[in-house]
Amino acid sequence: MFPYEEASWSVVDGAMFMGWGTALPGLTTFIAAVICVAVLVVGQRSETAKAKKFD
Amino acid sequence: MEEQIAELTARLAELEAAGGGGAVTNTMFAETFYYLTIPLMIIIHAGFLAYEMGASRLKNVLSSGVKNILAFAFMIPTFYFFGWWVYWGFPTGLPGAPGPAGISGVEYANAIAWGWGESAQYMGPNIADQASGVFFGAFALFAATTASIMSGAVIERIQTVGFIILAVVLGSFAWVVAAAWGWHADGWMVTEFGVHDFGAAGLVHAVAGFFALGVLINLGPRIGKFNADGSANHIAGHNMPLTVVGLMLIIVGFWGFLMACVIVPGEAWSWFADKPSTIYGTPITLSALAFNILMAVAGGIIGAWVITRDPFWMMSGALAGIISTASGLDIYYPALTFIIAFSAGFILKSCADWLERRGIDDAVGAVTVHGTIGLYGVVLLGIFGAGYPALQGAAGEVPTINLMGQIIGAIVFFLCGFVPGYVVSYILNMFGMLRVREGAELAGMDVVKVPAAGYPEWGTGASKTPAE
Repeated sequence: MFPYEEASWSVVDGAMFMGWGTALPGLTTFIAAVICVAVLVVGQRSETAKAKKFD
Repeated sequence: MEEQIAELTARLAELEAAGGGGAVTNTMFAETFYYLTIPLMIIIHAGFLAYEMGASRLKNVLSSGVKNILAFAFMIPTFYFFGWWVYWGFPTGLPGAPGPAGISGVEYANAIAWGWGESAQYMGPNIADQASGVFFGAFALFAATTASIMSGAVIERIQTVGFIILAVVLGSFAWVVAAAWGWHADGWMVTEFGVHDFGAAGLVHAVAGFFALGVLINLGPRIGKFNADGSANHIAGHNMPLTVVGLMLIIVGFWGFLMACVIVPGEAWSWFADKPSTIYGTPITLSALAFNILMAVAGGIIGAWVITRDPFWMMSGALAGIISTASGLDIYYPALTFIIAFSAGFILKSCADWLERRGIDDAVGAVTVHGTIGLYGVVLLGIFGAGYPALQGAAGEVPTINLMGQIIGAIVFFLCGFVPGYVVSYILNMFGMLRVREGAELAGMDVVKVPAAGYPEWGTGASKTPAE
């Protein structure tokens, strides 16, 4: 939700992104980091499996 | 000496009091800002050119390039002739009544956007109006980009003139109507339903993507694309590296595209005297764009890589990342942008395969990357951005972003693209102006359409002929 009391830009004077003042920024940052790590794990496993076929 | 210092001091105080220096600087900044978006957006066309030619087989490489170059060339004058007028004339819908912001309606458009009569003063060199041309230029490049999105989908079998007619309908009319309705302070979709589409995910990308779908239904697949049992074959382009570099150039150009979506201070029509805003008048910073575009590109690439491992889809994923978040680049948190973009890259290939299984031969995945993902982004903003103001104004008086509004917006954007694409291509097909003859398609469109060879030292086309 809009992080200011009024649903108007006339009162915005600082951070204005979604979730400011809530746990959302931290939560999404954590999820994004987990995605990066998970993708690397999956990538390493599948690439290794394919490479083994050429042994 | 003292007299001179006193005189200078007085002059300085006078300037400070008037604020003239700052205003002039701001005006020059605004004009330079939009002027620079034009060459940046031309890089998008360099990208589309490389990408389409790379995705074409050797026998069609130059004809694909010619088609792409002509789309750009025809888009500029037709947008000058009537596209700019449509944008200013119809934000409130038909019959073109003026809107509350006072910068729309047929009467207003007649006064500023025709190339004749009194309004011609705003459509050419004018010392008293240094901004109209640069703003027009940025919009003309939006138009050219929109038409080029359709261009890639139809390669290797469309007639040149039929394609140009379609490109003009899309670039100088269809998306302009969507922009007037959903990307203007007086647009009825904004004022009535709170539609918010900062970076044109719906009104450019989805309109162009579904316009292409309408055309593809009538155009049909390339010879050899589908087997008798309906299964599809992959028709590889002749140069994947060229295609991938082209896609990267499109990403470069998109920095200019999204930059041009910002209304900077310094002009009579700027929302604020001292800060930038979106086209809806809601605040935005270039910092927000830098954070979010970079995260979107990264998320899209990673999402596509984990599924496909294919550089074509990875760079398409980068585009999908930007498109899926474009509606809310002004207010998304960067990590959320990354997650949305990742999901777009992740589902991209599956969506393209789904379409292909239904007999649609989209040579470059344009319907999926721009159409499907564009609508995906428009609707997602309705979920994540619900409650945010969609338009600048006082509390309680301005519409807010909401899911239903974004869904309505998505449906309108779909119809603005699909209906004209299908109808006009159907008419062109009736008159035999849509698809090349079978013999020409089999021989290759370069030998039919282009008096030059893409790679003259390769193959049997490497002949020595008189220069004239």
